[in-house]
Amino acid sequence: MKKNGPIRFPNLIYPLMKLHQFLRVFFCITVMAIIGSLHAFAQSPLDKKVTINLNNVPLKQALDKLTAASGVRFTYNEAVAASSIKLTIKAKAQSIRQVLDATLATYPYSYSELDQDILIRYDAMKLKKLNAEPAAKPVTGRHTISGTITSEQSGETVIGASIRVINGVQGTSSNGYGFYSLTLPVGDYQLMVSAIGQKTDTIAVSLTGDEKLNIALSDNAQQLQTVTITAAPQGGRDLKSPQMGVERLSVKEITDVPVLLGEHDVIKTIQLLPGIKPAGEGSGGFYVRGGGADQNLILLDEATVYNASHLLGFFSTFNSDAIKNVSVYKGDMPAQYGGRLSSVIDVKMNDGNNQKFGVSGGVGMIAARLNVEGPIQKGKSSFLISARRTYADVFLKLSKDTTIKNTQLYFYDFNAKANYILGDKDRLYISGYFGKDVLAADDLNGIDWGNTTATLRWNHIFNSRFFSNTSLIYSNYDYKIKAKQDVSSFLIYSRIKDWSFKEDMQYDIGEDHSLSFGLNSIYHTLKPGEISATGNSGIISQQLETRYAWDNAAYLTDTWKATDRFTLTYGLRVSAFSIIGPGHYYDLDTDGNITGSTNYNSGQIVKTYINPEPRAAAAFQLNETSSVKASYARNAQNLHLVTNSTPGSPLDKWVASTNIIKPELADQFSIGYYKNLVQGKYELTVETYYKKLQNQIDYRNGTNIFTNQPIETQLLYGKGRAYGAEFLLKKKTGRLTGWVSYTLSKTERLIDGINQNQWYNARQDRTHDLSVVGIYKLNDQWTFSANFVFYTGDAVTYPSGKYQIDGVNYYYYTSRNASRLPAYNRLDIGATKQLKHTKKYTSELNFSLYNAYGNRNAYRIFFRDSKTDPNRTEAVRTTLFTYVPSVTYNFKF
Amino acid sequence: MMHTIRFSALLILLGLFCSCEKVIDLKVPDSSPKYVIEGLVSNQTGGAKVTISLSKNFTDDNTLNGVSGALISVESDGTVYPFVAAGNGVYQNSTLTGIPGHTYKLTVNISSNTYTSTSIMPQPVSLDSVYIVTDEFSKNKDKSLQRLVTVKYKDPADTRNYYRFIQYIDNIKEKTIFVSDDEFTNGQEVNGRLNFSNDNDAPTREVRTGKQVRIEMQCIDAAVYKYFYSLDTDASGDSNNATPANPISNISGGVLGYFSAYTITSKTITVPPQ
Repeated sequence: MKKNGPIRFPNLIYPLMKLHQFLRVFFCITVMAIIGSLHAFAQSPLDKKVTINLNNVPLKQALDKLTAASGVRFTYNEAVAASSIKLTIKAKAQSIRQVLDATLATYPYSYSELDQDILIRYDAMKLKKLNAEPAAKPVTGRHTISGTITSEQSGETVIGASIRVINGVQGTSSNGYGFYSLTLPVGDYQLMVSAIGQKTDTIAVSLTGDEKLNIALSDNAQQLQTVTITAAPQGGRDLKSPQMGVERLSVKEITDVPVLLGEHDVIKTIQLLPGIKPAGEGSGGFYVRGGGADQNLILLDEATVYNASHLLGFFSTFNSDAIKNVSVYKGDMPAQYGGRLSSVIDVKMNDGNNQKFGVSGGVGMIAARLNVEGPIQKGKSSFLISARRTYADVFLKLSKDTTIKNTQLYFYDFNAKANYILGDKDRLYISGYFGKDVLAADDLNGIDWGNTTATLRWNHIFNSRFFSNTSLIYSNYDYKIKAKQDVSSFLIYSRIKDWSFKEDMQYDIGEDHSLSFGLNSIYHTLKPGEISATGNSGIISQQLETRYAWDNAAYLTDTWKATDRFTLTYGLRVSAFSIIGPGHYYDLDTDGNITGSTNYNSGQIVKTYINPEPRAAAAFQLNETSSVKASYARNAQNLHLVTNSTPGSPLDKWVASTNIIKPELADQFSIGYYKNLVQGKYELTVETYYKKLQNQIDYRNGTNIFTNQPIETQLLYGKGRAYGAEFLLKKKTGRLTGWVSYTLSKTERLIDGINQNQWYNARQDRTHDLSVVGIYKLNDQWTFSANFVFYTGDAVTYPSGKYQIDGVNYYYYTSRNASRLPAYNRLDIGATKQLKHTKKYTSELNFSLYNAYGNRNAYRIFFRDSKTDPNRTEAVRTTLFTYVPSVTYNFKF
Repeated sequence: MMHTIRFSALLILLGLFCSCEKVIDLKVPDSSPKYVIEGLVSNQTGGAKVTISLSKNFTDDNTLNGVSGALISVESDGTVYPFVAAGNGVYQNSTLTGIPGHTYKLTVNISSNTYTSTSIMPQPVSLDSVYIVTDEFSKNKDKSLQRLVTVKYKDPADTRNYYRFIQYIDNIKEKTIFVSDDEFTNGQEVNGRLNFSNDNDAPTREVRTGKQVRIEMQCIDAAVYKYFYSLDTDASGDSNNATPANPISNISGGVLGYFSAYTITSKTITVPPQ
């Protein structure tokens, strides 16, 4: 490291200045957008006028002369500089754009804007297009182009890639398996294919019949290192699609965002987006648009992950090495999803590189990772194995203190996947995840918990318009608590297990209509708790009744491209949740006392809740760069997590709906405005929502969570409402990328029996929530990043008085959640240094500093008798993290 | 005794957080004073006592704000026992000694408001023995392992039983609430450890060789158990509970506090060497 010398100050200050500029630009744009005169804002270098006369001048020289004449700079790599082509330019007061269009038309080079520079690059596809003979046949009718979009380098399917007709209005995007289908009238087309993290490609198609077109896009990252910098692809938000409230992130995008202890984490990164809020520092949970932490459906390759956090929430269960892509739906879920009120987090694992064998990994402050992937048969099948484990416990073993020495504290994740292309029409995937946390003082005292999921999937293409996916899914979450006191020991065990079958179909009726339909059937087994005891404690080993439920749903949605500008998606999901015997089900009075019970036999249906869940969304494109959308969705939820602990605990209890616990319902209305600014360099999203919640659940006061009484005796029910506005401005291209996200919102609950039956703020009610993320690529070696977070403190209940019982102080409370924790704010900074980059081997060092200015954010505030003056009481603030530096080494070969 | 298991599981969890604590100036809301009634009838002579006080603001000092001038009586089997003021909000009746199985009805009149409650005195359960065990996971300030008291009793199988234990070390009362029911231990011989955390490192709270330990075992009724359970989990100021609240009182009329008719058995031992 000595060789590199100390980090120089200018290097550090520069990105900060750029960040400042970025913020200023953000401010300007907001103001400009309001007065609606965007064009006056900045002149693109492409619009600069130039007068020049060149005859047969080599490319590099020609560009230099253009720079001299116009002041516009060009960026290009050595291959471009060494090009032997000679250009002839005759321009009189023409824009640079016109000059380049005319001059480069017949050469395999393309240009794009890059900040105030223009990037010139070699474009092989253009060569192909130039040589392609347009076959114009006077045939009429419509045909379908379909295929799979993959990455050229890894063979991984690309999710959410956009396929658009250049100079046309038609377009579509690839589904969760990379499959796309686009129906067009007979004719010649230029298709632009773009996706996050991939180079944009243009393909000429001459459509005379149904055509299969598999597209391999090359990775952007590869180009990043050979050329200076490239413009990010268009990709991004789809103005035409009616889908609202969706955020898509590829893992490539998050690797530069600074994180706690250097562990990249998709779940933490999505919390920097509007409407998605962390449930507090050191908590794995998050709140989407005012919903509870249990109202998020987290899927890993379609399998439900019931507890997506490690180490009590400091890290998520998603090892970023194994993850390809994350889609977050904030309540406006497509009808194929259901079962949770607030959001769907659809995490897709990498398929494994089917082109070449590779090993990658890393060593961070707390965990080490290893990822192995490669083809089984090149181009046809591949595998991926990815593992991560914390190693801090190794050091505990070195301690002389026996208490520390015996402590076990670790978690691990294991992801594996294989896929096989059976032919043109069929593809099989098998994937699995296994993770565990162990937290123990010794062999007899501790807790461990973990998720297991497995998915078997079969993609089948019936024809170019008809795609199907069939899945068989297993999911399990369990925890075990071991405790020993004197001569007695205890073991508590709880689990939730699902088997499910899922069938999703996509059918393109024609140019205007596209149908999605399918069904989903899940069999839940919930074992709420069993306790085994030995010794003299007197505790009798016993178990609570296991609950069974069969959760079925069917859906049908049509996406109708009514006009070039107006698209409508409408559909219905119907869910039927059946509670199945054996077991006792109870009748309660209003105080929660049992008044009677019914015993059901095995297989007998206790109750079925049928819920129609209509979904509708519409998009109206205002012009080339902006659109408005509106959406309504109803969701029903039949699995509920009841929790009463502040940080959320792995021991929180999942319960299914019963004869007494009704399905939770949410109706969400939202409208949004979307605009691409400055030639698509910036993207502005504004969304507002109103959400109505029914059958919300809360614990009664004085609840005993460890009881063998039915859980219903401990619960209260009510309703909720949440509304807000979300703003997101993203900068997608240039050396500096990032986003500013702001949410203004309100979330309330009204529960019968709480807060004198008055509306009160939900704990997650946060008026303001701001995140700023900036990533600055200084050069090939260094990338700097920073993120800043500010939000209103949680609504909490502070005492409004105190009194004595039996000589001890206790606290008096008046209204629920009427106070606030202090506002939270934090700055994280990070830097990544590329150490080595060859074709065979790359390595990098990542530095990050979490909470860079060491703000003492309140994790919790509690109240006690003063330690210094026993005649007083005091408030004590607990802080979890101040200044957490970390270094991570990553490699790939 | 599930409560004790949860306690140790939580200790392990909390030990993980390398958190830092700081006393802060926090603006907490004030409230108008509220009556607190603590009514006791025991099966021992002199055990009939009612304390009436007013709640204070968080920033006030911790002295008891006793209320005088209340009219208090307890009625049982048709006999009314009036209580007389003994100063600083304490009222007593020297003749009332409770009998297990009997119902007691408390009536309190303060400034033209009436508050009432009933409590049934449970049958006594004998405290068989008290002994000292070592907790391997918690330490005293001087790094020695913390020692804790264990109580041993036989829970009667035919009734629901609720217990409250009070621990005195050299006559200093431990402030931790120890309550237990027989939900998981019905009819069993129970050895229950009285877990507490010496959060202010007070030497007087430590169980040390040579100290006198007296344990008072109270058999309480279900409502009083619920009161103490919720007082401990919801109103102790500990924010691990996401939703602090006032405990569930068995006194009607909208006051804080409880009324308990209970039986007492107690045992005293000298802490043996480790």
